[in-house]
Amino acid sequence: MDSPHFVHVAERAVEALDPAAALEFVSDPGFGGITMFVGRIRELNHGRRVTGISYDLFRPLALARFAEIAEQAQRDVGPALKLYIAHAMGRLAVGDIAVVIAAGTPHRDEAFRACRAAIEAVKHATPIWKQEHFEDGDSAWSEGCSLCDAPAANVPATDVAAHDAEHEHEHEHEQRDCGGAHA
Amino acid sequence: MQVELELFGALRGLEAEDRLQLAVEGALITDARAALQTHAIGHWPQAAQALLRSCAFATASEILRDPQPLPADGKLAVLPPVSGG
Repeated sequence: MDSPHFVHVAERAVEALDPAAALEFVSDPGFGGITMFVGRIRELNHGRRVTGISYDLFRPLALARFAEIAEQAQRDVGPALKLYIAHAMGRLAVGDIAVVIAAGTPHRDEAFRACRAAIEAVKHATPIWKQEHFEDGDSAWSEGCSLCDAPAANVPATDVAAHDAEHEHEHEHEQRDCGGAHA
Repeated sequence: MQVELELFGALRGLEAEDRLQLAVEGALITDARAALQTHAIGHWPQAAQALLRSCAFATASEILRDPQPLPADGKLAVLPPVSGG
């Protein structure tokens, strides 16, 4: 049987992400609810004018994480779910699409929950890094979430979403120390 | 054992081709972390040394915690805090 989920990393120099393809993928005669999150490169960050973002990914692990995120969403909202997760890699310009998440389910509640949980897990628990390029020529890697804190696969997506709703990447991170005995 | 580390994100550019071979005394991820921290003190700028403390180690299929054993093939990715989306 074909997988009800689609996961993908798109090299920007080769292809652009396609929300229409995501919509098509999660469509089903039995599904009355479809939600989609499209993340695009915005022109300002912390008041600085951005000219673009370079995304670095550890591709095999990112794809494995996307598949785990989809499986977790299925456990959370039930088997009637199609989920689409795609993220861009490489140098993107302002307005380019960085990420597309789409969820198709029988009703709207599961579709919203699955989509929200998936985007939060992609942002906070997947090996992806962004380097912002500023108008003044400076570039900087974004601070992020330590994967030492990544939630275990069996944490309900709703719990992750509730936690992550308070945890946008808009603040300074207090970085945890992963090193234990060698700290 | 000998490990081959691949560096990502803000750690890119610190080593040729973003890879590093290190001899690790011990069989656990924590031992690889200690070896990399020792290497970093001698070779990396202060900010990268500090970043290393919040980095995770992983294979192509899973994140490995400090008490876990090193993978048999010795290949590890060093993952700084993430910022996708």
